[in-house]
Amino acid sequence: MKFATLVRRNLFRNKLRSFLMIVLMGAIFFLIAALIQILNAFDNFDTGGAGDRLVVQSAFSLATMLPYAHEQKLRQVPGVVDVSKSQWLGGYYKERRNTFAILTLDPNKVPTMFPEMNVEPQQIADFVRDRQGALVGQDLMERFHWKIGDRITLHREIFPFDPELTIRAVIHNSVLASVVYLHQEYFNEALKWNRVGTFWVKVRDRNEMPAISQQIDAMFKNSEDPTETFTEKEFNRQFMNMMGNVKLLFGTISLCSIFMIVLLAAITMSMAARERVTEVAVLKAIGFGRGLILGLMLSEFVITTLAGWAAGIGFAAFLFRAVDMAKLTMGFLPRLHLAGSTAALCAAAAVFVGLVAGGLPSMKSANLHVVDGLRKVV
Amino acid sequence: MALVQIDNVRKIYRRDAFEVPVLNGITLDVPRGDFLALMGPSGSGKTTLLNLIAGIDRPTGGRITVDGREISRFNESALASWRARHVGFIFQLYNLIPVLNAFENVELPLLLTKLSKKQRRQHVEAALNIVGLGDRMFHYPRQLSGGQEQRVAIARAVVTDPTIIVADEPTGDLDAKNAQETLDLLQQLNQEFEKTIVMVTHDPKAAQHAKRTLHLEKGLLVESVEEQAAEA
Repeated sequence: MKFATLVRRNLFRNKLRSFLMIVLMGAIFFLIAALIQILNAFDNFDTGGAGDRLVVQSAFSLATMLPYAHEQKLRQVPGVVDVSKSQWLGGYYKERRNTFAILTLDPNKVPTMFPEMNVEPQQIADFVRDRQGALVGQDLMERFHWKIGDRITLHREIFPFDPELTIRAVIHNSVLASVVYLHQEYFNEALKWNRVGTFWVKVRDRNEMPAISQQIDAMFKNSEDPTETFTEKEFNRQFMNMMGNVKLLFGTISLCSIFMIVLLAAITMSMAARERVTEVAVLKAIGFGRGLILGLMLSEFVITTLAGWAAGIGFAAFLFRAVDMAKLTMGFLPRLHLAGSTAALCAAAAVFVGLVAGGLPSMKSANLHVVDGLRKVV
Repeated sequence: MALVQIDNVRKIYRRDAFEVPVLNGITLDVPRGDFLALMGPSGSGKTTLLNLIAGIDRPTGGRITVDGREISRFNESALASWRARHVGFIFQLYNLIPVLNAFENVELPLLLTKLSKKQRRQHVEAALNIVGLGDRMFHYPRQLSGGQEQRVAIARAVVTDPTIIVADEPTGDLDAKNAQETLDLLQQLNQEFEKTIVMVTHDPKAAQHAKRTLHLEKGLLVESVEEQAAEA
């Protein structure tokens, strides 16, 4: 603590440089924290269901559709309670920037298969009754100032079909707040198909899920439309992976960011150390030992990187709390929260950057020969 | 016994492939309470000799003993802690830390001691009062004149009550008035507080403030040069 004043004064020796350095570090730690949280959110995507659902898709790919006939066979599998068809439709409202998730389902299955949607019973009944009815997430209702009974037209992205819908019900679930569901049959009739992308299967006992999955896939193994069955969580993760190896991409960006700040910090810290060669020589002359000089300089550099960490993580915590990312991106990103583990990981990275970037200039200062340092004119 | 005993000390600097002899066998005693001025032309080795006495450099050969301890045998770490306890430094360009105020600059050597904060404050205030800057304790170097900066540097040099004070051209960067004040202060430290001072200077007027003056030439004390000439 005796040396705290010396460290503190050196930290603010060049205020503009220290400020810019902290802002730069803050920006990069914010980016890293955001990437980690997005990955975590994807990994832990959960609609709040009971975890008792399996998703059956084509063994070839998610883009290959399965015949309706599979539904009856699925119902006969022991342990299966209920089945609903569901199809992902790309689409948007009015303009492409208003793109959000549009899916089909069997409307009468909402109360039993998807109770976490928290839809009012009367609205469910209205939705079931209207073949062109829409079940809409609450954020979309607010964003577009929609009301129950409004007629909306969504525009095609994948299929040659522009759904014309009447809003009949509202979903009250933060994860599904930017989703529109419509009747599977409306979609099917419009396209004259009897095929669907996925079957959602509710099971009686979660412990039986692995066995039921195997049984389903075995049942269709030698058919023209073999299946691959996942738990809901695995399916969601696989769905995210369709965007490419997001984890690898984000990991690479994070590592590049760390590498970048190590280099930038090393340049800045070398400059800072070089400017103080004579001062370090004076300190050594009056008795400051090698270890003490090394410790003082490293503390200074690590405090700088930790200040950057605090700025970046503080901003991330504020932003994630203040701004609902799910609402802002219409469901593309989930609502983000800053986890303690992410803050701790970034803190460790900050200490690492301080030690690595400040290591060389600190060592050079610590090993400086007093006579050479006093002779140097900086 | 002399406070500083220098016995046949040689110093050779290596610059790339070349060896540059700077001190060629100096033998010298500095008694306790002495105020010694070292003079000589540039390159004569006076600052090198001062650095060796202060323990910030090590001789290539010979022996240096200060207060009964042979410092020429100390390793770097032992020399650092020895300097902290026994040597006060005064430099030509004052070399204060610009981000610390006068009080904090003077306190620096005391941070290496076991003194409490209160004791450190008492020592610093006493040192700054001796140099006449008791009212400028919280001024930063940029807020002080050159003469005041040098006085802060002198306070930093004496605050640990060192065995020896070494001063390298302490008036080299000062105007006549401030130079005189600085030399008066060094004289006062020597006479009133019985501090042993070794000062390097180019200025004969500055050397007059010392109790004795030695001249170096080509790495030898002038008497030795004359002896060598006589022998030849």
